[in-house]
Amino acid sequence: MSTPLIILLVLAIVLVLMYNSLVAKKNQVDNIFSSVDTQLKKRYDLIPNLVATVSKYMDYEKSLLEEITKLRSEANRPNLPQDKKIALDAQMTKALGSIMVAVENYPELKANENVMQLQHALNEVEEQIAAARRAYNQAVTDYNNALEMIPTNFMASAMGYKHKDVFEISEGERKNVNVKELFAS
Amino acid sequence: MKTISELTDFYYKELYPALQELEKDRKKIKKRFIIYSALYLIPLLFFVSIFFREWDLGNITFLFIISTAGTGLIYKHLTKDYRAHFKQEIIDPLIHAIDTDLTYLPKSHIDTAVFNQSRLFTLRPDSLTGNDYVSGQLESVDIAFSDLTAKKSGKNDDDATTIFQGLFIVADFHKNFKGTTVILPDNAQKLFGDVVGNWLQANNSSRNQLIKMDNVAFEKEFVVYGTDQIEARYILTPSLMQKILNYKKRSQHPLYISFVNGKIHMAVSYNKDLFEPSLFHSLLEYKIAKEYFTTLHLALGIVEDLKLNQKLWSKI
Repeated sequence: MSTPLIILLVLAIVLVLMYNSLVAKKNQVDNIFSSVDTQLKKRYDLIPNLVATVSKYMDYEKSLLEEITKLRSEANRPNLPQDKKIALDAQMTKALGSIMVAVENYPELKANENVMQLQHALNEVEEQIAAARRAYNQAVTDYNNALEMIPTNFMASAMGYKHKDVFEISEGERKNVNVKELFAS
Repeated sequence: MKTISELTDFYYKELYPALQELEKDRKKIKKRFIIYSALYLIPLLFFVSIFFREWDLGNITFLFIISTAGTGLIYKHLTKDYRAHFKQEIIDPLIHAIDTDLTYLPKSHIDTAVFNQSRLFTLRPDSLTGNDYVSGQLESVDIAFSDLTAKKSGKNDDDATTIFQGLFIVADFHKNFKGTTVILPDNAQKLFGDVVGNWLQANNSSRNQLIKMDNVAFEKEFVVYGTDQIEARYILTPSLMQKILNYKKRSQHPLYISFVNGKIHMAVSYNKDLFEPSLFHSLLEYKIAKEYFTTLHLALGIVEDLKLNQKLWSKI
């Protein structure tokens, strides 16, 4: 075999490998996002029950409950793009967190078995979501790295691959609370 | 659970009479061992110097092997009762001082099935030996551990490779999961650097997929393989990773962890038999004594250290 032919062959193999690794990375992102989505749906399914139970007792948080219901119906619309879902998830996590804090102010609610069960179910789903988010972020980081690093960046731009967003992981999830910092401010 | 300093107090106060008795035995046995070894080694050397014309490497190796094998047998024979007493009088009370409901079986060990099921080591052992089996419930978490040596035999007896030696712990894990997640010491990245090491790990065909964790210190110390990217992170929350790092720091030995079938398996590599009495050092020496209770504390401490007692809703 002549030398130019060998070079051409090696080059072709390298290109194929690069192409395949990019496709694999993109699919990994989509694959994990679908798991994130399943977990998010599980959480949205718990919401009507939660709202129905707590709204009987909560007087001052009506607007918060309305917001949660609104967010849920928005999230349930078909064909939402990934970045929209990520944004909705962040809002939802925040709103649910506020509800859980508010529950603490109502002794009847805190003692209510249904609420307790819902809280546990939510905690469990939140843990699953947190894990799925972290898995998604890692997959996106690998994908984004491939998009920016030489030599895969040339291939990626030729394939029309676009940079993807990661989930914002809240500070609380990322590290333990630093009591000293809390008091310093 | 009792702290290490409480256990130290217990050792030197409650167990002091037993320790003194053992100390007397130890001195006697040590003397006997030296005499018997001399009676074995001196004639041996005498005969060997007559038979061997020259001292080449083969002859020296031969002499070394038969002298260590002989003295080893003498040691084993002489210390048999002493070891049994030590376990009965010292280790057993120490374990019960930690928790009265624990069961201690000095001659049993973790089952082969459990060892294989842990998926911690890819080689299947041909022989699994061990002792000092402790089992029971701590804060309603099932836990068991023992000293364990797993070996794979080679073509000859000398070729046997040690797969693992050290402390092997199994406990209930407080979350539900279906797949397998394995945490191993990160040797590849330490040896070959991040880029090559990472590539080697990602292409390790004897393991499941590589799972990159989002804790830099943890990633530096360990490598994680698993069947499910999300489940591995569901198990390894940021706080559990931190706790495992702290545990590793405390143990100061290579640490292998796996999550399979609802259980956490931990193997702490020591390269020696644990919970054995020393013949050449006094049992009253703090350095010797300390190892007994720090090891016990390490094994039973996982329930508290890794917060295995915090049951989640899904497991109730």
